[in-house]
Amino acid sequence: MISKETASKVLAVAMKTGADLAEIYVEDTTELQLAMQESKLEQAIRGTDRGAGIRVFFGNLVTYAYTDDLSEESLLRAAEAAGAAGSGSAKSQIIDLTTKNSALAFPIVKPFDTMSIAQKAEILQKVDEKARAYSPHVIQVMPGYVEKHRQMWLYNSDGVAVEDDRSYTEFRVGVTAQKEGVLQSAFEGFGGRVGLELFDTKDPYQAAHNAAESAVKMLDARPCPAGEMPVVICNGWGGVLFHEACGHQMEADFITKGSSAYTGRVGETVANPIITAIDDGTIPGRRGSLRFDDDGVEARKNVLIDKGVLVDYMWDLVEARRAGHHSTGNGRRQSFRHMPMPRMTNTYIDAGPHDPQEIIESTKKGIYIKNMAGGQADIARGDYVFNATEAYLIEDGKLTAPVRSATIAGNGPKALESIDMVGTDLALDPGVGMCGKGQSARVSVGQPTVRIPLANVGGTDN
Amino acid sequence: MTDYLQLAKEIVQRATRDGVQAEALIMDDVSTTLRVDGGEVEQLSQSGSKGLGVRVIDGGKVGYAYTSDFSDEGIQTTINAAHELAQIATPDEFRALPQLQTIPDEDLEIYDPALETVTTSAKVDLAKQAERQTFEADSRIFHAQANYGDSITHVYLANSNGFAGKYSRTTAYAYVFATAKDKDLNDSAQGFGLDSSPYFSELSAVKIGQESAYTSTLTLGGKTVPTQKTTVVFDPMVMTQIIGTLAFAMRADSLQRGRSFLIGKQGTEVGSDKVTLLDNGRMKRGLASAPFDAEGVPTSATRLMDEGIFQNVIYDTYSARMEGGEAFSTGNAQRGSHRNLPGVGPSNFYLQPGILSRDEIIAGIDDGFYITNVMQTGGISPVTGDCSMAASGKWIKNGKLTDPINGVTVATTLNELLKNISEVGNDLRMFPFMGSLGSPTVRVDNVIVGGSVAEAAPAG
Repeated sequence: MISKETASKVLAVAMKTGADLAEIYVEDTTELQLAMQESKLEQAIRGTDRGAGIRVFFGNLVTYAYTDDLSEESLLRAAEAAGAAGSGSAKSQIIDLTTKNSALAFPIVKPFDTMSIAQKAEILQKVDEKARAYSPHVIQVMPGYVEKHRQMWLYNSDGVAVEDDRSYTEFRVGVTAQKEGVLQSAFEGFGGRVGLELFDTKDPYQAAHNAAESAVKMLDARPCPAGEMPVVICNGWGGVLFHEACGHQMEADFITKGSSAYTGRVGETVANPIITAIDDGTIPGRRGSLRFDDDGVEARKNVLIDKGVLVDYMWDLVEARRAGHHSTGNGRRQSFRHMPMPRMTNTYIDAGPHDPQEIIESTKKGIYIKNMAGGQADIARGDYVFNATEAYLIEDGKLTAPVRSATIAGNGPKALESIDMVGTDLALDPGVGMCGKGQSARVSVGQPTVRIPLANVGGTDN
Repeated sequence: MTDYLQLAKEIVQRATRDGVQAEALIMDDVSTTLRVDGGEVEQLSQSGSKGLGVRVIDGGKVGYAYTSDFSDEGIQTTINAAHELAQIATPDEFRALPQLQTIPDEDLEIYDPALETVTTSAKVDLAKQAERQTFEADSRIFHAQANYGDSITHVYLANSNGFAGKYSRTTAYAYVFATAKDKDLNDSAQGFGLDSSPYFSELSAVKIGQESAYTSTLTLGGKTVPTQKTTVVFDPMVMTQIIGTLAFAMRADSLQRGRSFLIGKQGTEVGSDKVTLLDNGRMKRGLASAPFDAEGVPTSATRLMDEGIFQNVIYDTYSARMEGGEAFSTGNAQRGSHRNLPGVGPSNFYLQPGILSRDEIIAGIDDGFYITNVMQTGGISPVTGDCSMAASGKWIKNGKLTDPINGVTVATTLNELLKNISEVGNDLRMFPFMGSLGSPTVRVDNVIVGGSVAEAAPAG
């Protein structure tokens, strides 16, 4: 997008007031969004976002300037602005920019243009028909399709020159069902860092069927009991619990400030020894996978917790420099308008020793969470909450009645210590997860079936 | 400097074809964000950006494309993409641009010319002061991080029905995230203090510092309570999250499309007589105030719920045309940025304040739960009307705040909640959430608080 000569000139200008490090991040993103409602294709959007951000490090101060004009003149102006905080003279010369390679590759088998927009729209139309055909109680179907092509180039004054060409495809469908004044909605979707080959292995019509089935089933759900009880959480998307309840607290920015409960606890036992937790930015086809992160660091597989023992946190460049650590490849940014921060990639609890069936059978009375909306966490205290969209009572080791509006709340670090059963059935989520931390980032989560022996369940039946 | 209104008009001309309507939106902004931690600036970003969105409506079929590339080629590609996408959309006779309407000439006080000349160091000072105030307000503050941000935005909108309008707005905000630690209680908690206004000079570092210290220390050492049905008091920031869900449920499209628990209840009593909900796109100094909405319709004030009676909903042009009859757009077409199609959304949406102060409301409760912080993700649903979340705050005993509470859930339904609102405070606060939403302190009876196993839950 810009030449190395231009990049070198820009970095030299950014460094001329005595900075420790300067970086230019260039982005070219295009996307297509299609969405239906009321059986009509009513959102057909195509867009382009292109620009560059210049980041300059002066000790603990990081300054930033961005522009949507990639001309050399405009980039040099942004470099002047970002470098303006300095008051000295250049400390070092720019090392030659030699493009770094990575063995990591995320090849796209079927590029976006192997299917016409009309064909993509047709899939959504059929999804709508399929969901409506499931039951007369289905009153609204909202299918959507997104393709995003995000290319990034990063150069810095230490000589780093990397690029990462990221393509994402995602499909989703929301269904609302109504019976006797009661409304319930359900959601299914799948996606990844893949092209249209996504549809070779995943069936949107099956997803439509499943969403309709789930919404209709929940029409008969009874109010959820309130109080403390065992909670069994499904594999796959259930991993959002670890992401919210513990993962965020292992992000280095909360560690270097001392605001996380995990500060200073590396080497300590923080979970049952049957728990190993991993953040892995290298998994083929996954939504959180990166060749290089948005600091220009190659993605890695990082063990966070090994058999119950805290191994390390997730670091970006800024926090790593601050703490004298190395980056773990977790620096991510929403766009060229944002500075990177420590973020998760694909985060999961590894497989454990228990047969998933046995986990339910050994639970006398509790709640089984089959599907849920996202979650939220309070970093300082480690408290978490998430809302189950499909949940069932467990009575005498069997799944019985569906229950509605179950909010599960508790303390993340305590829950992690208390988890007493971990299934053998590790799965990653279907691939439509989005994490918000001031900036949004595509992430994946995963886990086997897991049991928390005592969590606070919020419901309207007391 | 390019005349962007002129450019928008030219783009409309280029995009308009026989029987095809066109609209161009250009947004251009300059913004600053900065973060102070430990009395030092950690991050500073100052930049400008722009964007163009082109909407075409071809026989009821909508196509939309956006770009940040304002080269002639970039613009033409965007126009072409919008036309191409319109071809695959489903025709819908109600899709059309609004008729040309006159925009009232009135100063909404949404532009602070002083912001153009406020120096970076003055902005840094405000953040530093907010951080310092947090520490000064309470000795248990362990860490505070102050953020400041502002933007000067210019909006230009033109369409083929002859509309051409522009306005400018400023937004300034500052907030502190604080962490408090109490060694004796072996507990820590986080809190948040926030202030925002179109006017830089209205931001108060003292207010932000005191609020973040109060919210982070209030629940230190908090314990759970037995599961029970009780009276709760929601702090304005907490209640505002519920208000946001109500705003979604009172959008015309939510009701038309089966996505609101209020379906079929228009004209009926759904809340207590304390509940009056308003949406006012022309509120002076409102963070979501504007002379016209995202489609060029003048904004207005709408009374949605009047003393408990669900009277009106908010409309954009499409949802009003679809309803037909006497429905007209209330000027509530919104879009987050030039990347989005316009859709129905609240402007300055709030619960009308009452007479009592917060303390007077609390004084009137023998036994109840004052809630200052909630966490919920999908727990408050405008579709099902379910409402459950994790909460912390203080217990109320004989009209006074007593023990800190944490780790409990509260649950009710929005139908029940609206009926059980028994007091509304006089302390309305507007927050820059989803545009601009606000609420005073609110008392709600008969809410289920879920905590430890209920051995003898009081009868509700």
